[in-house]
Amino acid sequence: MTSTTAPATAVATRQPGDGWRMAVRGLGQLLITCGVVILLFVAYELWFTGFYTQQQQDKIDHQLQQQWTGNGPDVSLLTPDKVKLGSGIAVLYIPRFGRHYHFVVVEGTDYEDLQKGPGHYPGTALPGQVGNFAVAGHRTTYLHPFNKIATLRNHDVIVLETKTMWFTYTIENIPNTDIPWREIVVPTQVQVAYPVPDQPDPNAKPSMKLLTFTSCHPEYSASHRYVIHAMLTEALHKAPGVFPAALTHPVGH
Amino acid sequence: MYVWIWRRLPGGVPGKLLGCLVLLAGVLALLFFLLFPWAERRLPFNDVSINGNTTSTSSPAPTPSG
Repeated sequence: MTSTTAPATAVATRQPGDGWRMAVRGLGQLLITCGVVILLFVAYELWFTGFYTQQQQDKIDHQLQQQWTGNGPDVSLLTPDKVKLGSGIAVLYIPRFGRHYHFVVVEGTDYEDLQKGPGHYPGTALPGQVGNFAVAGHRTTYLHPFNKIATLRNHDVIVLETKTMWFTYTIENIPNTDIPWREIVVPTQVQVAYPVPDQPDPNAKPSMKLLTFTSCHPEYSASHRYVIHAMLTEALHKAPGVFPAALTHPVGH
Repeated sequence: MYVWIWRRLPGGVPGKLLGCLVLLAGVLALLFFLLFPWAERRLPFNDVSINGNTTSTSSPAPTPSG
């Protein structure tokens, strides 16, 4: 975008209207620049933010593995308030999203936490516990862990790996309740992450082991939240050669 | 504006080109590391969590808010 139209060099004498011409040209260049900056911002949001998340995921993954091989705590035996914000708590696998899909779930749903990966709502149950293991994740930015959340189907599985366990949750309409496997709600509808979801009492005593995902909806917007509910269907103790069936037989397409 | 910058860069055409690259890199760094992260927080499309009276659900302890 250097000189555009004007005969740049040979202007020796000022002509009437030069001031206007310069002003209009300046304005044009300013507007084009603004447009380019806005496009760059889109690129930043959609791709550049992913670099940061990838770097953080690698770091947290490394820390988590160290904690698992060392004498770190077993997260599913902790009370939810004992987990440090920003730390990794479990590795998430979703076969529907591909054989290589995995993310470390971090503790916390604040802005900084969600920049690192899918975030566990503090205070909600931990993997494998009675209650509701609730996780929020970005859909279009920061490596978009829940980018394909709308491709999840009833009876798909979600696997979580902790220090000692493999937990398999199955997406389904939760039996004997009104909790659907999928719902789209307004952002203030916190009931979806209650220990007993979708009823008014945040202190209702849970009896089931549930999992809830939230992400933004529609894609690229934030007017609603896309919500997935699942129920624990398998808990395996980790051992050599022991893997959840869901990870050895990826869902077909 | 761009013509003005081009005229003021020193070093003949190669120098001017180099100057442009340096300026461009500086502007991009400024945008990507300062302006965009700042702007992003003020825009809504990264909100993925639910928050009425946030997640102070039942559980044992009050949630730390960071």
